[in-house]
Amino acid sequence: MSHEKLIYIHPAPVRVWHWLNAAGIVLLVVTGFQIRYAEILNLMPLKDSVSLHNFAGFGVIAAYFLWLFYYLSTGKIIIYFPDPSTFVAKAVKQAKFYGYGIFRGEPNPHVMTPENKFNVLQQKAYLGIMFVLLPAQMISGVFLWKVKGYSDYIHLLGGIRIIDTIHVLFFFFFASFLVVHCYLATLGHTPLAHFKAMITGYEEHH
Amino acid sequence: MKKLIPPVGFGLAVALACLAAAPMAGAASIENSECFACHSDESLTRSATEGMNHSRMSELLFIDETQFNHSVHHNNGIGCVDCHADITKLNYNQEVPHKKQLDLVNCTMCHEESSNAFKDSVHMKIRGKGITMNCNACHGYHYITRQESLSVADRTNNGCAKCHNPYQSHDWLPQKNEHFSFVECVVCHVPEAPRHIRLSFFDLMTNKFYSSQEILKILGITESEFRLLLDTNKDEIINVKEFENLELILRQKNVHAIFHAELVAKMHPSVHKINRGQAERDCKTCHSANSPYFDAVTLVLTKDDGSSDHFQVDRAVLESFSLRHFYALGGTRMKLLDKIGFLLLAGGFSVVLGHLAVRIATIPLRRKNEYEAKQSSIQEEVSR
Repeated sequence: MSHEKLIYIHPAPVRVWHWLNAAGIVLLVVTGFQIRYAEILNLMPLKDSVSLHNFAGFGVIAAYFLWLFYYLSTGKIIIYFPDPSTFVAKAVKQAKFYGYGIFRGEPNPHVMTPENKFNVLQQKAYLGIMFVLLPAQMISGVFLWKVKGYSDYIHLLGGIRIIDTIHVLFFFFFASFLVVHCYLATLGHTPLAHFKAMITGYEEHH
Repeated sequence: MKKLIPPVGFGLAVALACLAAAPMAGAASIENSECFACHSDESLTRSATEGMNHSRMSELLFIDETQFNHSVHHNNGIGCVDCHADITKLNYNQEVPHKKQLDLVNCTMCHEESSNAFKDSVHMKIRGKGITMNCNACHGYHYITRQESLSVADRTNNGCAKCHNPYQSHDWLPQKNEHFSFVECVVCHVPEAPRHIRLSFFDLMTNKFYSSQEILKILGITESEFRLLLDTNKDEIINVKEFENLELILRQKNVHAIFHAELVAKMHPSVHKINRGQAERDCKTCHSANSPYFDAVTLVLTKDDGSSDHFQVDRAVLESFSLRHFYALGGTRMKLLDKIGFLLLAGGFSVVLGHLAVRIATIPLRRKNEYEAKQSSIQEEVSR
């Protein structure tokens, strides 16, 4: 392993946010299924799943603000914004790698650095998730938590059915994304390489 | 369109039942106007020292005739002496033309079924603890109006909340405020009582419910035309399409009313049979697909006398975008979202499983490429 080089990619605040967020999202997905399909699933009483869902939801909101504070205060938020001038070419190259090159053992066209840890596809995906989907999910979740208290805002946005639809559609998206995200994390030079990096902060470069 | 609760017929039935049951020998000759000759005097009081208990009713003998004339009893032809049946004649030679100490009114004479249900309730059983609770504790006395057009808030305030503060209990119940706002107490506390989702026209701008007259005036139609307007296919049930059509008509008339939905008990004698320990506490009963709590859905047009016209609505309306201002977790969920959710999940799993399968299948190829790359690297080094 002498040819490997360790690079500090994930600072401590990012790792803390990531695992808090991960635990929260997993809890939200599990309890979300229990809440929506109470007549089919019997993982826990509905009342407990609602309480746990609320608790996890506020945990994710708190973690989100930790993430936002860190990335804004350090200026690193820029890593979430792809360069429009090179985006298409890089996206095609990256997609070709995931769809073809990776099976042939070709190297990843994107080289991870502390300043540029995401490839363009990751940038695009996380930009949408962190700046649109997750905030929308958090806001709709807070509205559903206190329907009566936020009734004015809910009416203004078209009614509880609209808020619920947004929350449920994004819930399914996040549930699906969780599966894909965990799988993509196994695409490092070893299946557990990215998982280890998110614990230690160091990625191994070959 | 079928009227689910025919108030006129019901009223006649009540009146006939009273006529048959009440011991009114000689009383029929006493008109309400004779009673109001004295009891419309606001200063008419009875001294609390004349053997009556010290309640407000025993002192104030004034009856507001206008308010009384709006009561359900008056509207159904029930006169003063039909209830105060111990007044059989009036003797104007006396200072008080009837006996000073009247018997308690016996509501059971007419409301037998309700009375029987009440007798088997916790409110009757508390008499064993020295607390006497009569019909009037909830219903009042002379100004009883129909309850069916009342909102959950009014039903609670006029009934249970007179004695019970729901916020002091129900600690186990999540989203207390939401439940208390949308669900009438007896829906959970008397699970066997018939109930329905009651849809009514609500104006978000003024925060008021539209009355029957207001809606009909806006639409420029009569009550019978309203039925025809709603139920275009004449199957006596308003389906999603017909509901959307009504919404469109309201928009065209520039009326931005929403359909306010509440889960309320139907006016049925069984609602009086409240007992400890029988309240519905299993959240899943309500919050699951095909919950029986959402089987009956009615659109109501409320009237000034407290009665209302009911129009049966297809349950599917609750699970559609036609009703955007009501959602009961799990219970009225949209099946379309479940299908979209399934596709999203299936898509995610398919991508992962497909990619993983190709990854596994191409392991030999990668090993071969890696081996060849190594060989060519060695050859390059040797040739140098």
